[in-house]
Amino acid sequence: MNTTIIDLSLWDLLTVYSLLLMSIGLAHLLKAGQSKDLFWSGLRMFVQLLVVGYVLHLIFALKTALPVLLILIVMIGFAVQTIGARVKTKMPHFYRVVGTAILFGCGGMTFFFCTLVIGLEPWYDPRYLIPLSGMIIGNSMTGASLAVERLAAEFHERRDEIETALCLGGSIQAVSEPAVSSAFRAALIPSVNAMAAMGLVFLPGMMTGQILSGTEPLIAVKYQIAIMCVITGSVSLTTFLILRLGYRAYFTPYQSLRED
Amino acid sequence: MSHVVPLLQARQVVASRPSESGQLQRVLQETTLEVGAGEVLAVIGPSGSGKSSLLRLFNRLLEPDRGEILLAGEDIKNISPPALRARIPLVAQKLFLFPGTVRDNLQITAKLRRTALPDLNTPELLELLELCHVDSAWLDRDARKLSVGQQQRVCLARAMVGPCQALLLDEPTSALDRPTADQLALTFRQLAREKGLAIVFVTHDLRLTERCADRIAFLVNGAVVEEGSVNQILNHPATAEVRSFLSPELSGDVEVTR
Repeated sequence: MNTTIIDLSLWDLLTVYSLLLMSIGLAHLLKAGQSKDLFWSGLRMFVQLLVVGYVLHLIFALKTALPVLLILIVMIGFAVQTIGARVKTKMPHFYRVVGTAILFGCGGMTFFFCTLVIGLEPWYDPRYLIPLSGMIIGNSMTGASLAVERLAAEFHERRDEIETALCLGGSIQAVSEPAVSSAFRAALIPSVNAMAAMGLVFLPGMMTGQILSGTEPLIAVKYQIAIMCVITGSVSLTTFLILRLGYRAYFTPYQSLRED
Repeated sequence: MSHVVPLLQARQVVASRPSESGQLQRVLQETTLEVGAGEVLAVIGPSGSGKSSLLRLFNRLLEPDRGEILLAGEDIKNISPPALRARIPLVAQKLFLFPGTVRDNLQITAKLRRTALPDLNTPELLELLELCHVDSAWLDRDARKLSVGQQQRVCLARAMVGPCQALLLDEPTSALDRPTADQLALTFRQLAREKGLAIVFVTHDLRLTERCADRIAFLVNGAVVEEGSVNQILNHPATAEVRSFLSPELSGDVEVTR
């Protein structure tokens, strides 16, 4: 089953880029106004991935933990930044709350998976740690933005309800319950859908990649199952932490709703 | 009713709220007021005079910049906000009924306070429902399908499930027709007399005030310009502000129903 990988030559890459040119042509034909976007994003992809390829090449050669950890911190920083850019209505103390949650949620899950399950040797082996934590952080980032957006919307839409509940003597935890559970649900929907459709509707990227690079399909399947569980765990833990820290930000120290 | 012990007291309270532009705006200045158990106080004044802020100060939805507020002699800063709000509930102008039946709405108070669900068949609760004119036939009906007047009564009863000592009401009759509002005025009087509640309501409705209030505090620009018995304020106003408020031809923005 183990086959050698077929490398792609520069000529092969240029051939596939002709497909991008075709897309640009079609977009132009339909006056979709996307020709420029397609061109630039195609170019960006080329440059960015080439850089990442070289960087990974260098990183995989690393023999100490510190630079690997630094890279993980930078990834978390980018994730928090991306959430910040995507979420329009930010809760108070946004960056502190989201940063802490991602650090502990994703960090905890990555450590759990790499150390206790795979048993990496050395524990920081960048060949595993970087791509795996990339998937974990990326998915948690999506879940976290959904949760944060949903929470803000809930607090906005449910203002009358929450204020009524406060006026009836509810604690801030009790009055936030519907908003918090709705936000948590929103964050987990992509994970639930992905797990349910996996293998039927699409073959997941990591598994496909492993199979293409010659891994025995059953091993690839086991890795895919494992990473999905870890991703779901990370999304739920990160979201839980964000919500636990975050709902309080909507209230004053004397337990009334902050003004919108 | 000046002989009654003051249950709620505001002493030289100064408060601010963020305005539309986000800047802090003074909404109440050096306000001193008191309401006794069994007494009904109407707070009247033009729009934006700080009436609603005053109500929100009493149950700590708004925190004063200076001054103190006492409940039965105790500074409300020393009472946890949920416990305080259970003792002085506020019924907002915009009624909110939780999805579900009237029974669900009456029981939600306990859920929110994490206490045991109340048995709606105890004599005290049946008495409360009767006082609020909540018909026990409504209990299993969808609360949101009741008429506004009925919803107002459910909100009233819901607020009083528990250790209620005082009631804060924001524009309680603004959505009601005249006969329903008149019935509600009677209910407020009964609640004050029979349960010994201190009731503070904010209103534009002078007829409601005449029918159930003992005293009136008249607010202009966050300050009490006049305070006294209903008869004194409505029939012998001492200041130009109150006089112009009371004569409809001079106060275009106020709905005077007398």
